[in-house]
Amino acid sequence: MAMWPVAFFLMAAGTFESDVLPLFRSKCFTCHSEKAQSGGLSLESRESILRGGKSGGVIVPGKPVDSLLMTLVSTGKMPMGAAKLSAIETAAIRTWIEREDRKAPVSERDVTAILSAKCWVCHGRREKMAGLDLRTRESMLKGGKSGPVIVGGKPEASLLIKRIAAQEMPPPKLQEQYSVRGLTDDELAKVRQWIVDGVRPDNEKPLEVSVADDAAIKPKDREFWAFRAPLRPPVSALRAPARNAIDVLTMEQKPLAPEAADLTLMRRAWFDLTGLPPSPEEVEAFRADRDPKRYEKLLDRLLESPHYGERWARHWLDAVGYTDSEGGNSGDQLRPHAWRYRDYVIRSFNANKPYDRFLTEQLAGDELFDYRSAKSLTPGRIELMAATGFWRTAPDATYSTEQNFIPERMDVIAGQLEVLGSAVMGLSVGCARCHDHKYDPIPTRDYYRLVSILTPAYDPYHWLPPVFPCGGVGAKCDENGTRYFLPKATPEWQEATAFNDPVTRRIEELQKRIEEKAAPYREKYLAEKKVKEAKLGELEAAYEPFKREKAAIDEQIRKERANLKPLPLVRALFDLGPEPPPTRILMRGDATSPGALVTPGAPSILNASGRDYRLEPLAHSSGRRLALAKWLTHPEHPLTARVAVNRIWQHHFGVGLVASPGNFGRMGSAPENQKLLDWLASEFVASAWDVKGMHRLVMTSATYRQQSGDSGFPLRRIDAESVRDSILKIAGRLDTKAFGAADPIKPQPDGEVITESLRRSVYVTHRRTQPISLLETFDQPFMNPNCVRRGLSVVSSQALHLMNGDLARDNARFMAGRIIDAVGDDAAAQIERAYLLAFARKPTADELQAATFAMEGASKEWAKDLEKNQPAEPVKSRSRWLGLATVCHTLMNSAEFLYID
Amino acid sequence: MPTRRDFFSRMGDGLTGAALASLFAEDLGAKQALYDLTPKKPHQTPRAKSVIQLFMNGGPSQVDLFDYKPALAKYAGQPPSRDLAAEVRAVRETGGLMPSPYKFSKHGKSGIELSEMLPHLGKVVDDIAIVRSMFTTHLAHEAALFLMHGGRILPTRPSLGSWIVYGLGSENQNLPAYVVLDDPKGPPINFIQNWQTGWLPAVFQGTRVRSEGSPILNLHAKQEYPGGIVDLSRSLLHRMDAGHRDRHPGNVELEARIANYELAARMQMEATDALDISKESEAAKNAYGLNDERTASYGKRCLMARRLVERGVRLVQVYIEGQIWDNHTKIRQGLEYACGKTDQPAAALISDLKERGLLDSTLVIWGGEFGRLPIAQDPGPNAGRDHGPSGFSIWMAGGGIKGGTTYGSTDEIGYRAADNKVSVHDFHATVLHMLGMNHRNLVFEREGRQERITDEFPARVLTEIIA
Repeated sequence: MAMWPVAFFLMAAGTFESDVLPLFRSKCFTCHSEKAQSGGLSLESRESILRGGKSGGVIVPGKPVDSLLMTLVSTGKMPMGAAKLSAIETAAIRTWIEREDRKAPVSERDVTAILSAKCWVCHGRREKMAGLDLRTRESMLKGGKSGPVIVGGKPEASLLIKRIAAQEMPPPKLQEQYSVRGLTDDELAKVRQWIVDGVRPDNEKPLEVSVADDAAIKPKDREFWAFRAPLRPPVSALRAPARNAIDVLTMEQKPLAPEAADLTLMRRAWFDLTGLPPSPEEVEAFRADRDPKRYEKLLDRLLESPHYGERWARHWLDAVGYTDSEGGNSGDQLRPHAWRYRDYVIRSFNANKPYDRFLTEQLAGDELFDYRSAKSLTPGRIELMAATGFWRTAPDATYSTEQNFIPERMDVIAGQLEVLGSAVMGLSVGCARCHDHKYDPIPTRDYYRLVSILTPAYDPYHWLPPVFPCGGVGAKCDENGTRYFLPKATPEWQEATAFNDPVTRRIEELQKRIEEKAAPYREKYLAEKKVKEAKLGELEAAYEPFKREKAAIDEQIRKERANLKPLPLVRALFDLGPEPPPTRILMRGDATSPGALVTPGAPSILNASGRDYRLEPLAHSSGRRLALAKWLTHPEHPLTARVAVNRIWQHHFGVGLVASPGNFGRMGSAPENQKLLDWLASEFVASAWDVKGMHRLVMTSATYRQQSGDSGFPLRRIDAESVRDSILKIAGRLDTKAFGAADPIKPQPDGEVITESLRRSVYVTHRRTQPISLLETFDQPFMNPNCVRRGLSVVSSQALHLMNGDLARDNARFMAGRIIDAVGDDAAAQIERAYLLAFARKPTADELQAATFAMEGASKEWAKDLEKNQPAEPVKSRSRWLGLATVCHTLMNSAEFLYID
Repeated sequence: MPTRRDFFSRMGDGLTGAALASLFAEDLGAKQALYDLTPKKPHQTPRAKSVIQLFMNGGPSQVDLFDYKPALAKYAGQPPSRDLAAEVRAVRETGGLMPSPYKFSKHGKSGIELSEMLPHLGKVVDDIAIVRSMFTTHLAHEAALFLMHGGRILPTRPSLGSWIVYGLGSENQNLPAYVVLDDPKGPPINFIQNWQTGWLPAVFQGTRVRSEGSPILNLHAKQEYPGGIVDLSRSLLHRMDAGHRDRHPGNVELEARIANYELAARMQMEATDALDISKESEAAKNAYGLNDERTASYGKRCLMARRLVERGVRLVQVYIEGQIWDNHTKIRQGLEYACGKTDQPAAALISDLKERGLLDSTLVIWGGEFGRLPIAQDPGPNAGRDHGPSGFSIWMAGGGIKGGTTYGSTDEIGYRAADNKVSVHDFHATVLHMLGMNHRNLVFEREGRQERITDEFPARVLTEIIA
């Protein structure tokens, strides 16, 4: 290490204003001025330097060795891309740091960060207890019923300090309930210091982001293909075997494989559009149809089937992370009302709702009308509220008071933004929560601008936890305290409450009676124990007779409760009214390290003049999410249509044209055929976002109709839900009842989770901690928070499930029973029908022979087994039925059943 | 076209169907079409081949077990500092500082101090390394468990175990690579989320193995088919699948699927054998406490864990009845129960592994998701202790760990880790290191992002406790 002559230190007087600031001005301000603030750091004043940047403090006063700034300049890492500072310059900085005796000043921002987490719940947007609002310096100076709570320069005279120091505030009694903790020594010291320093205001303006000139984005970044609006490529004339533009653009890259057989295509189309195999009758009808357009007619029929919506809703529900439980906690509380959103999605697909409208309703259904005005409430508008369930899918443990602190609330918001990013925008925005995105031009600022779009509804300081104050049992509902929208003007609601009201009154009577019974015991208890209060539990423990009396009344209450009709609650997101909280960049994602103020906005890289995020406040709402929807559905948005058509492609072909459907950014996969992707996107927009039209376009192409194989259509295993639903269908047991509350699951003593429901899997409870074992084994995703592309595993537990599990075994018997009912005792006819059911084709002669051999062998074994018990029932017919069931069970295990050709 | 005989002769060479898939994906962390559990090469020479994690859900009280704090007697009854008070969960029930009711004494050659509640551990103390300066960042069980298992206080991340088998595969293809032995009396908090794969492929998820009844879900049918029906069905299935595969030449997935049906059949045999502890000697059963009601259940699972690692299973997590270490009240009774249940079996496991020469290659980890506060909760005769995330103790043994050592310390009252603080990320990096993996290099690419168990958090291998 080089030794510096003493003279250097003498020369470097090291005062900030005369020696250091000019140096910074000439060498560092390009990136670290007050305006540029690269890395959140401004070197323009001692205050801003002491405050530091996104990586925390850059100097430790008095300790150059511990100061990041010193390390960076002496190693030459800074100034970035420029010459290393000279020894004299470095020495000047060192001397200044050694002599700097000021601590980082406490700003209004620092104080607000503390008070917002610990005080705003009672003195903020929601409530102003004792008339006190602690949100701003002005409101604190104004104070509440007891006068101003801060007095500049006089901490002793400031009520705020007094009450906190005495540990009266936040009130210990309420801390658990409100998920608030007391102030630490350090926090109290900060608030005190700010007051000592004279309660200086920050006078801070939010960061301005200009669409035309944004220093955070390099012009080169904007050239990346995914950040530019798709251009419709020219399509040359059709030539065989092309059937439409998809084929022309595909064939520019590779030749097409020959077309698959009609019956193969039929089965493929059935699974693709409904997630179910065709019935033998449907296969026969298709075979018998001589119309050359029979395939197109089939597509029309399938697109009109109610099962289409169930199938494609499932894909969307994956993308948004829909489940029927909260997650995040071992309680994994159920979301008993989430299904209204699921039904909304299914209905939307079946109605072929244009995709732009579909998005708008989900992002901002509550802002499309004045949801607070009861008069305006129609069934259609209740659907709009249900649509906002989109924003209520992320894992959310905030119903537990132990997991309802600000960081956990920010986690929920982060989950929802990840859903928005990966499912709709094709961008991973989550990285920018803690640091500027490493690979894509998404600065942290833009992440918090997105947060700001949500805060009028998702207010971290006015949090509506997913608790269930109505208990689902119709008792009292605190309208301001729940995230459920209560459609009170509806007949459904009124009917339920009219029924429940007398029941509720009876319950209250019973509760009163307990108190009456308790009164004499309590009197006795207080006298005996010389205490001031006694809970019911204590009285129960002390007096056996009271315990018995109370138990009897409790039982009555329980019975009454069971009578209550559930209220039609809608799990929704809605604007909570005026004064949304300020949103700040959180340094390293840490809620206790607030950075600059931001305003609502969209990621700058996707913004452009003429179609930028533009806020138009509404009379009844902030309009922030509606503006987001408008911005996203602009016809020239670079990603919305591409991401949507890519998803459609992915679910028809197994892999999207962009293989990473949630990330079109630089670290995502490059599009396999960008011209095709862009053509589809522009066609989608031009067709007014017609989703069913896109299916028709794709499925009538020669590309889709190719034979399966390495170079053609990819052979694919059916997904988890299709495995279960298909087994039920071929067993003749599928209950096609649609919609409504999710059917229950049933955990078994051996750990397996099953359901007794016979409805499609999309209607069965999907609880995060209790996935149905069979579905989980076949790659039903854990929602974390969502899943834009399912994994594929080939594991032996799948074989164990289908060989030994009850679902396949039991349903094979049903399948055999229905086959015998349909075709009688002829073995060949039975096997033929089994093949039609399972594979949508007839067996070859060899296959028929092999299956018959196995069936006869199995029947003999069954007969031997049955005879052991000398049963009353006929052994022969029963053993033939069981023999056929063995074959059906084998078909359910076969690759041909589980794979789509 | 390969015949059935050819196919299985290939499998006889150790090339299972799953391994066929792996031919396409040899490199750790490379984009893979299919994932499997065949053994993978670690980044560097491993110290341990397998791991047994004795997970102590609830938060064992460090000052009553591993971390002797005589100063607590001096300050008994005094109110906590403002900082400590701000960390208390159950504010209303808080009391003053509370000394441990237990005697501590020195054990072994190393002279490590342990509480009288751990007499059996005292006998093997020269084989273990105690870390007394662990800390976590959340005071709720759920969040702290997520951090301990998945590296973040949120759910949805893959568990450490999933990362390990993703990185290393397994030495035995007939048994699950990552086995979870939970307590029949009650699962841990967060339940299956403790061993989930998150976004790692499902094949790396922990497999719950029951210590009573059929050990693996659907390993056997509830009612077996009579006579030769299973064979008839299997042979028909094989014929159909082989025909189907031949119509789709070169499809690896179909080959793997066929192999998996064979594997399932082999697993029925081998898993049954591996978990059959009736084959153990009386001496072994006694050592693990199988003949004592208090220790029988936990001892049985410790013994099963040894049988599993002996057969090449990569990782066994042994859980304990619910969260019996969560002693908010009546901590004396609570600790007597929890220690009574676990102390002898855990110590027996170490001795047994050592005798069999397995300790050198098996990393044993003992610990929970956090510790407990040195103040009383619900003060009085029934006093307990509330959650203490800022400082707690764990121990490790075997697999290259330097026995008879302690590392780090808490402050004077055992509240907060003070010297040589060890984060959960440090812990994860250390476990991976012992297995020959570098936490920075064990990556999974997800939607264009390089994911790691330690994410972007700083993490340090605890070289001080490595032999």
